[in-house]
Amino acid sequence: MIGTSLCKWVISYFAVAIVWLLLAEVLVVAGFGFPNHDIGGPDTLVIVHMVSIGWLSTVLCGALFQFVPVLVARPLYAERWTLPALALLTFGLTILLAGFLTLGGHFDGPPRLLPVGASLLIAGFALVVANLGMTLWSARPLPRPARFVAAGLACICVTAAFGGMFSLVLSGAAIGAQWPDLLVSGVPIHAIAGLGGWLTFTAMGVSYRLLAMFMLAPDGDARLGRLAWLAGVAALAVGAVGGVLALWRATGVNLALLLAGAAALLSLIAYGRDVLGLYRARKRRALELNTRMSLVALASLVAVAILSAAFVATGSLPSHVGALAFLVAFGWLTGLVLANLYKIVPFLTWLETYGPVMGRVPTPRVQDLVDERRTLKWFVLFFAGSWAATLMLLVDAALGFRVAVAVVTLATLGLGEELIRARRLADVAEPLRLPTGAVVPHLLVLRN
Amino acid sequence: MTQFIDVDVRPILRAGGEPFSIIMAALERLEPGEGLRLYAPFKPVPLFDVMASKGFAHREAELEGGEWEIRFMPDDGSFGAAEPAPAALSGGDWPEPVVHLDNRDLDPPEPMVRILAAMERLAPGQTLCALLSREPVFLFRELTKRGHQWRGGFTPQKDTYQLTVRVCA
Repeated sequence: MIGTSLCKWVISYFAVAIVWLLLAEVLVVAGFGFPNHDIGGPDTLVIVHMVSIGWLSTVLCGALFQFVPVLVARPLYAERWTLPALALLTFGLTILLAGFLTLGGHFDGPPRLLPVGASLLIAGFALVVANLGMTLWSARPLPRPARFVAAGLACICVTAAFGGMFSLVLSGAAIGAQWPDLLVSGVPIHAIAGLGGWLTFTAMGVSYRLLAMFMLAPDGDARLGRLAWLAGVAALAVGAVGGVLALWRATGVNLALLLAGAAALLSLIAYGRDVLGLYRARKRRALELNTRMSLVALASLVAVAILSAAFVATGSLPSHVGALAFLVAFGWLTGLVLANLYKIVPFLTWLETYGPVMGRVPTPRVQDLVDERRTLKWFVLFFAGSWAATLMLLVDAALGFRVAVAVVTLATLGLGEELIRARRLADVAEPLRLPTGAVVPHLLVLRN
Repeated sequence: MTQFIDVDVRPILRAGGEPFSIIMAALERLEPGEGLRLYAPFKPVPLFDVMASKGFAHREAELEGGEWEIRFMPDDGSFGAAEPAPAALSGGDWPEPVVHLDNRDLDPPEPMVRILAAMERLAPGQTLCALLSREPVFLFRELTKRGHQWRGGFTPQKDTYQLTVRVCA
């Protein structure tokens, strides 16, 4: 192992992602998209893709570029591909959104916007998958958290492939006209592979290592994560392979999805048990804010599992799918990501700034770069807002939903400011702030 | 049959002391063919390398309460059952570590801070040995920048990463 360097553009990924998140939140507060408009309509698709690609996928890609090398103790395959990938993802998404806006009649654009945007996005994700995939390939046999990431990378390929085909159908291209039913039955697979496989499964794998690291819990047991891994892979395989087969045979999609759902539930239960086990075995008694908030986010995932099972049992899943998707995207994924950004950004900033002088002059601790008491209130607002918004969707209160998302937006702004303060070393007390030899970091680019 | 001299470092460690010099002093007093029986509150992994470089094989036994009894014997080749030190770790050509750190229970990134601070106090060519709960991937980056060399690897139990660093000469 030659050591992990800092990935130069990680913070840029995070910043672009947060801007997309804020934009999506502001549009929702303004009443754009679901629940004011149809859940499958173009306006809702704008919001959904802003959150899932602009925010969650971008932030996850950035975090993986920094974290996969740590996970497998190998350097990133090609650091020089990271900035082009960010440009392709951002540019591709912008064009895709313009395509959805055209579809919704807000904008008079050419019909090929959707396939062009999708192609750029596929190129961006291909660069990301190739880069991370080659890094993982060099580290076989993979430790279990890295296997979750590998499965997640496979899922983003499935998601992107379906997305590309949808763009052809929606744009009215001749080739797309051959699959008229694809949109109806393919959307669940696109969404499950994206939200479930790529975003959730990857986040689960990474969190095994992050939680063990931050709680000082032993994670060397080979059995740790095995059931969650096996059941999760089974769920994704049944969902994607079974789903595609069912599409081809034009029957049985619901059965494949039900089986996949049952396996996914088992995976989530096993994951919850593992996290609880790590929590009980931890050596660090007082947990830092990022770990506590990760556990709160996990509670949202538990709520999703329970609510989904209940809605399936009562047959009311179709009418509540919007609320569940919101809880997955915000209460679970966004909450988990924000909690971990609150650790990752100060840590990288600390390493970048004080690493070169560490041991030679007194330096602050990582905790000195943040103010947990002040930040806690933003997290409380964030989770309270997310849960309230879910509740409002469940009871069909559109205005209440927008008010709750306004609270979430405020919390996002507050947390964004905390991250900027960490980059600027604004909370580090003198005289430790800038010892001789240390330089204030750039806001958006890491020195490595 | 090997005769053993007993050294119990448990009270020394409990009192916050440094047992390394006492073990080395006991080693000096051994007669040819004699062994050393060590009682420790944890498995003294770094010591295995040091002792191996002095020609001692070891045999370990876990006692109650996580404590360990380690028997070090002059290695005359008759001691095949002993756990061999990983090749990458045996610092045959490196001097014995001057500093030993057990950083396994520290919050990250404190282990890294302590190692870098301790390295600053060493003379060129001297070495430091540290026990960690993980592979310190971010530390390697700083060590490389400062021109230090290191050797490391997980112990066979996979729960401890043992790192030896040599100050650039």
